[in-house]
This record gives sequence, structure tokens and C-alpha cells, in this order.
Amino acid sequence: MLGKERTPGVNGIVSGKQFGVGYEETPASRVMLLRGELDLSAAAYFRSIIEPVLAQFDKTLVFDMRDLTYMDSTGIGIVIFALKARADHPGSFRIEQIPGKIKRLFDLTGISRFLDGAGDGGR
Amino acid sequence: MEPATVNLTIPAKADCIDVARLALYGVATRMGYSFEEIEDMKVAVSEACNNAVLHGYGEEIGRIELTFEMLEDRLRISVADDGGGVPSDLRVPRQSPLLSGSLSEVEEGGLGIFLMQALMDEMEVNLRQSGTEIVMTKYLPQPN
Repeated sequence: MLGKERTPGVNGIVSGKQFGVGYEETPASRVMLLRGELDLSAAAYFRSIIEPVLAQFDKTLVFDMRDLTYMDSTGIGIVIFALKARADHPGSFRIEQIPGKIKRLFDLTGISRFLDGAGDGGR
Repeated sequence: MEPATVNLTIPAKADCIDVARLALYGVATRMGYSFEEIEDMKVAVSEACNNAVLHGYGEEIGRIELTFEMLEDRLRISVADDGGGVPSDLRVPRQSPLLSGSLSEVEEGGLGIFLMQALMDEMEVNLRQSGTEIVMTKYLPQPN
């Protein structure tokens, strides 16, 4: 697991929906397994995790969102950041297993048009 | 349902915004909104709080005041801060900033405020002498 647990919030209360990132590597891809809530409090951490990987072009970078329970414009901003970083290498980045409620945000904002072949996992 | 109001004050900190989502969830569930409507409102409320955290205050940690008015036919949500607020020339975009232009041209600026108006039935930004108030309304589906 790459994912640090989010530091306790106010008065030590920790949300049960903390953001975290798991990691799997296959011969062809590096898969980031996103889980929990990707909101403003998780954005800096997530960027710090992906920045070094975004510059490695020997394998396809995959964000697997099946366990992501929440995302807003903060997360969409990071997806744009990743898309731009991989834009010169077609096919080097994709998003898989997008939950329905997040797919809806992708469609509403128009980011879907940059995500060719992004599977929605039927959800 | 009798009209009722729930007030919540949270620190204007990123790691407190999930508390606003939890409160919204409780209020909206009680009023009978659907799963999808609640998800929409969670994003809208979070975007308003993001705005207060990112633009409301400098180094100082301020407060965000949320008011949930449970009305007969709608939920009216006010998210107010008394920080620096949004610029006075702020416009609410009717179209997503990501819908036109090539990937290299698109910027995510304005995405949060676009989402608020797109996900709610009504949305307005009130610039006050001290701070900003965002008021958003979602109507309950009409019974058949």
C-alpha cells in the first residue's frame, strides 16, 4: 500500500472514508487503486504520489476508481493534470472502473471527451 | 414535514469539509431525496466549502457557516464565510470550462462554481461586506 492514512482531523476524529492509494504493477502497466474520498484534503497527497510516476513512460499508467466513493472538482483537476502530463504519449494513461456517480461528473464537466476508452465497469 | 433549520459551523480547513457532507447527507436523507440527488448536493456543498477554504482566508483559519433550511418542497443551503471571498467580477459559468478547446488549452478554474450551478436547481453568490455567501436550492421531486 502506498496510501498513508489521512492524519486525524479536528479533535482526533478520523473519517471512515479516508482517501488512500494502492499500487499494482503488471508487465504493461502501473495501476493506482484509488479508494475513499478524493477531496480537497487529499489533493496534495495524491499529487505527490502521482508526480514521480507521471514522468515514467515505459508502462501505461492506470487510475482504477472502483473503490473511489467521492470526487469533486479537486479530483477532476488532478485528472486534467495527469492527462496533460501524458498527452505527448498517446495510450500511456487511462482510467478504469469509474463509478456511475463519478462518471456523471466527468460527463457533466466534459472531461469524458479526453478519456477515450475509459471503462465504467458497468456501474 | 415541518420547516426546520439545521446550522453547522466548521473550521475553514480542507479536512473538515467531510463533516459538511455528513451533515448534508443526514438532512437530505431525512427529507427523502434520492441517492443521486444527495450525491449531487454533496458535491455542490463541498465545492462551496472548497471555495471558502481556498479563497476565503489567508494564513488565518476562519469559519464556514452552513445553514440547511428544510422547507416543504425544497432544501435551501447557505454556505457563508467572512474571509476575503471570491473576486467581485465573479461570473457563474453556464458551460463547463472543459467543454471547449484542446486538452492543452483547458483549465480547471471555474469548475467548482460551474458544478454548483449544474448540480443544484438554483444557485446564487452573494458578496457581502465581509465575506461570501453561496445559496443553493434543490427541489424535492413533485409527488405524482
